[in-house]
Amino acid sequence: MFDLFSDIFTYRDNALTRIDPRVKLVIALAGLIAVVTAERVVLPLFVFGICLATVAALRIPAKLVAARLAAPLSIVAVLVVIQTFVTGTTPIFAITIGGWQFTAKAEGLRQGALLGSRVLGAVSAVFLLSVVTPAHRIFQALRWFRISRNWLEIAILMYRYIFVLMDRVSDLAAAQRLRLGYTARGRALRSFTALAGATIIHSLEQSQRTHDAMRLRGYRGTMPFGPMPALGRRDRLILILCLIGIASARLLEWGVTG
Amino acid sequence: MKAIDVTGVRFTYDDGTEALSGIDFHVMEGEFVAVLGSNGSGKTTLIGLLVGLLKAKTGRISIGEREIGSLSAEELYQRVGLVFQNPTDQLFAATVEEDVAFGPRNLNLPEEEIQARVSEALAAVAALPLRSRAIHHLSFGEQKRVSLAGVMAMRPSVLILDEPTAGLDPAGEAQMMQLLKKLNREEGMTVILATHSVDMLPLFANRIYVLDHGRVLQEGPSEEIFCHQEMIDRAKLRLPYVTRLMYEMKRHDGVPIDGLPLTIGEARAQLLELIPKGLIINGLEEQKP
Repeated sequence: MFDLFSDIFTYRDNALTRIDPRVKLVIALAGLIAVVTAERVVLPLFVFGICLATVAALRIPAKLVAARLAAPLSIVAVLVVIQTFVTGTTPIFAITIGGWQFTAKAEGLRQGALLGSRVLGAVSAVFLLSVVTPAHRIFQALRWFRISRNWLEIAILMYRYIFVLMDRVSDLAAAQRLRLGYTARGRALRSFTALAGATIIHSLEQSQRTHDAMRLRGYRGTMPFGPMPALGRRDRLILILCLIGIASARLLEWGVTG
Repeated sequence: MKAIDVTGVRFTYDDGTEALSGIDFHVMEGEFVAVLGSNGSGKTTLIGLLVGLLKAKTGRISIGEREIGSLSAEELYQRVGLVFQNPTDQLFAATVEEDVAFGPRNLNLPEEEIQARVSEALAAVAALPLRSRAIHHLSFGEQKRVSLAGVMAMRPSVLILDEPTAGLDPAGEAQMMQLLKKLNREEGMTVILATHSVDMLPLFANRIYVLDHGRVLQEGPSEEIFCHQEMIDRAKLRLPYVTRLMYEMKRHDGVPIDGLPLTIGEARAQLLELIPKGLIINGLEEQKP
């Protein structure tokens, strides 16, 4: 569970963590737009490959990569299967399950593969961003882009207290387990609902205490954000080159498709 | 001059629980005062009133020369700072630097001043190397020190700490108390400590208030407080361990001890006087190879 939220790699010193978070955000956004609007699988899969190769080069553990990509990969699988059997007219093969015949179609498979590749490309771009940029730097950059203070404030507090609540939930679950709370299905269900209830109560109490602490340090409804330095020459160069690269790839694909 | 003056304050929670029953409490500027009491004695309520989180129904609370109700939030929180018992309650930003800068930023100070305050506060609690670390990567002891820095960056003249050593290991406890002593003795900060941990208090506190069921049972320097065993029992507290040992030796074994020593140093001096000189080897530690 902790792996899903782990951010220890963002605090390493490497070429990517040193880039200004605003530059990384813009590049990631451009990559996302290119991937989502792609009309063939090549560009999204290329982005997916580049991102995975970079993640591997950064020595991010395969366990973390698998944990983060597990949900999107299952979505991709469902998408491909549904599209293959629902969309299109040209049959490829047929299977029979419980007396029902399902026919896979070529157009559906192509469509499913395209949607799946877009998901993979987009998720891997965001994943790469998340392993080279600490969350607070992303929030700072978003504030610089004039994203609503209220949204960011909620996001910052959520991010901070995810770890606190995870610790509490893990302690509570361990306490339940040690008293045989999960030894039978019915008992496990009761334990789980009690755990969920306790977590909500903890969250409410925590929010009250945190609000008190914030008030005592002058909080009046808006969280202050620190300033960001001007973009350096190196960062500007990286931004321009990456944007040119992404635009060229997109235009090239457009030309090929057109 | 009085840093804090509380006179005849009563406080009753909405469920009818009377937490404070007409309490008088005062702290002079530059003092180190401990508020001792068992769970439910009213310590936390008193703290809540001193920092304006709770409002007293009757009685008067003054911070410096001004009544608490006449102070704006900005004025109040630059005079009184509270360090919570659990640092998790207080550390809400993503990184140490952002958290410590939170208060100064709310005061709309210029960025250079904010950075100077952050550096100064972190240096004061020996946490400068933690500056760019994520809060959730800190150990409990580090979180405690950073939460203290966050309050110090507001530069309050009175620092209130709720159980500052709770959850710390013995080394962390000693480090925290030394830090508070330094802030008090060298920076002249007024320190108020709510605790039920008694062993280190004689070394640090100028005065101690003992609370029980919302009342002040006794107030005075450590020597006065800890010589009243019955009062300590009534407040569901205990003597410092070394004092307890000497008390038992005096009571059960008739060892002729003057008063009750409160620290290991005092107890050692008294015992050395009682042991025949021939049995004492002076400078034993220095003779070891």
